[in-house]
Amino acid sequence: MKIFQMQCKYEIIRILRNRYFVFWSLVMPILFYYIFTNVVNTNAPDKAEWQAHYLMSMTVFSVMGSSMMTLGIRMVQERSQGWSTFIRITPLSDTVYFAAQMIGQSVIHLLSIIIIFIAGALINGVSLTALEWTLSGLWILLGSLPFLAIGTLVGSMKKVETAAGVSNVIYMVLAIAGGLWMPLEIMPKVMQSIGKWLPSYNFGNGAWEIIRGNMPDWRNILILIAYLALFMLLSKYIRRKQEAV
Amino acid sequence: MNKIVSLTNVTKSFQHKTAVNDVSFTIGKGEVVAILGPNGAGKTTTISMILGLLKPTAGEVQLFDHQPHEKQVREKIGTMLQEVSVMPGLKVREILELIRSYYPKPLPIQQLIELTGLTEQDMKTMAEKLSGGQKRRLSFALALAGNPELIIFDEPTVGMDITSRNRFWETIHHLAEQGKTIIFSTHYLQEADDAAGRILLFKDGAIVADGTPSQIKARISKQSVSFIVDPELPLEKLFLHSEIDDIYRKNNRVYIQSSNTDRVLELLFQEKIGARDIQIERGKLEEAFEQLTSGAKEAI
Ligand SMILES: Nc1ncnc2c1ncn2[C@@H]1O[C@H](COP(=O)(O)OP(=O)(O)O)[C@@H](O)[C@H]1O
Ligand SMILES: [Mg+2]
Repeated sequence: MKIFQMQCKYEIIRILRNRYFVFWSLVMPILFYYIFTNVVNTNAPDKAEWQAHYLMSMTVFSVMGSSMMTLGIRMVQERSQGWSTFIRITPLSDTVYFAAQMIGQSVIHLLSIIIIFIAGALINGVSLTALEWTLSGLWILLGSLPFLAIGTLVGSMKKVETAAGVSNVIYMVLAIAGGLWMPLEIMPKVMQSIGKWLPSYNFGNGAWEIIRGNMPDWRNILILIAYLALFMLLSKYIRRKQEAV
Repeated sequence: MNKIVSLTNVTKSFQHKTAVNDVSFTIGKGEVVAILGPNGAGKTTTISMILGLLKPTAGEVQLFDHQPHEKQVREKIGTMLQEVSVMPGLKVREILELIRSYYPKPLPIQQLIELTGLTEQDMKTMAEKLSGGQKRRLSFALALAGNPELIIFDEPTVGMDITSRNRFWETIHHLAEQGKTIIFSTHYLQEADDAAGRILLFKDGAIVADGTPSQIKARISKQSVSFIVDPELPLEKLFLHSEIDDIYRKNNRVYIQSSNTDRVLELLFQEKIGARDIQIERGKLEEAFEQLTSGAKEAI
């Protein structure tokens, strides 16, 4: 237990010291939020709803990014620098190592969610019921699982540069096509029908439903679970192939 | 004897290459063993199998009578790999604290500092900002963090300056006195001779000699008889004599290696090959080592 706590603690410290994390997961989403709710006139019919909607979009955007990029790139770094090899010789078990990374990452996500929510409340006075705040926060925390699995896929790449490049592209495509930057409704029909099947849209939509007083759609939940299963299997398969030396 | 490490008929083949070929040895408690051999001899591969990082293609490796990857084994070993690595994003002190927490009876930080020569400044430095020398010291401290009974180093002194090198061997000596079992690899005969009580001499993935440094030295530093002879003259018939270990040409001279030079002289006259300017040479140790491990005997 002591090992697990130490491992989690240091995983968290490492993420917080990472400038890319602070920029991409906190500064960028909050900046975007400010711009698209205050600077750019979006002509939203219900201003308060748009402000809450876009706060969810940006929080989802933040957590999705750090799940894929922070985790993935760190895994590649540790492997390419030989740290993973060293760890294998210590008594730390693979399970504890992996679990600590996931928990550490989730604590960081919780922190990001709280900070961005507070930013929303301060910038635009977004006010939701306590239940809505809690539910949307929980949804974003749990909904990040398929993206953490994508992170482990990114983490199986050989070079840090490739991992960073590839994950950045996936990140942007998922964010835009999933309606996190602009709502899907204003996009062409084709894009809309593709977008609805993306994990990013389904991740975002759960939170958008919650702030409108609804529950996430079953469809959203099922699609996210399906993606999680798919990415986990893929990740396991790749790991098995890489270990077969 | 209290067996700590045992390899039984261990072979490791990669796609196109057998890196370690049917190697067997056991190492007892408190031994300081050097795995000596030139680059490509299979030292790293052997060490990786001992550490459980590579699976032998055939044969068995046991540490403390268990498989290398078992937790109870891992708690008793410490290691410094050939490729030094650090965990980015943490300071040296933090990394040490973290790794110490993995072990049931870790060494106190203060003692790790004293043993490895880490400075207060080093302790505050972020891992990714460390110089090569600092990384080595950290890596050494990580190897000792769990107060291991068995310590394994792969080419530990590569990239160390003279001062750190001396300090390193001093510490190794100190650890050996405490009864730790130590295995290290090197391609310097001198280092193996100075620091180890036993040398496993590797060549092309196999052990070609196993003994104390003086035994090994006696074996490899052969005397030879050298002379000038008509280059056209075939020398094959000399090979028929079992006393002769090797024959090679160098700088227009023929060298005949043997532990019994008197007998070689006798043979030279007996076979009437017309040798001129005969000299008896006592080979230099380093040269002999190089010759033994460099492979290709010059064809006669
Ligand atoms: N992963 C690998 N794949 C193919 N060949 C390898 C691999 N690792 C080592 N070898 C080969 O095995 C031989 C022994 O290598 P190694 O154990 O690293 O030698 P040493 O550490 O003594 O220099 C070398 O010829 C090397 O090229
Ligand atoms: Mg090597």
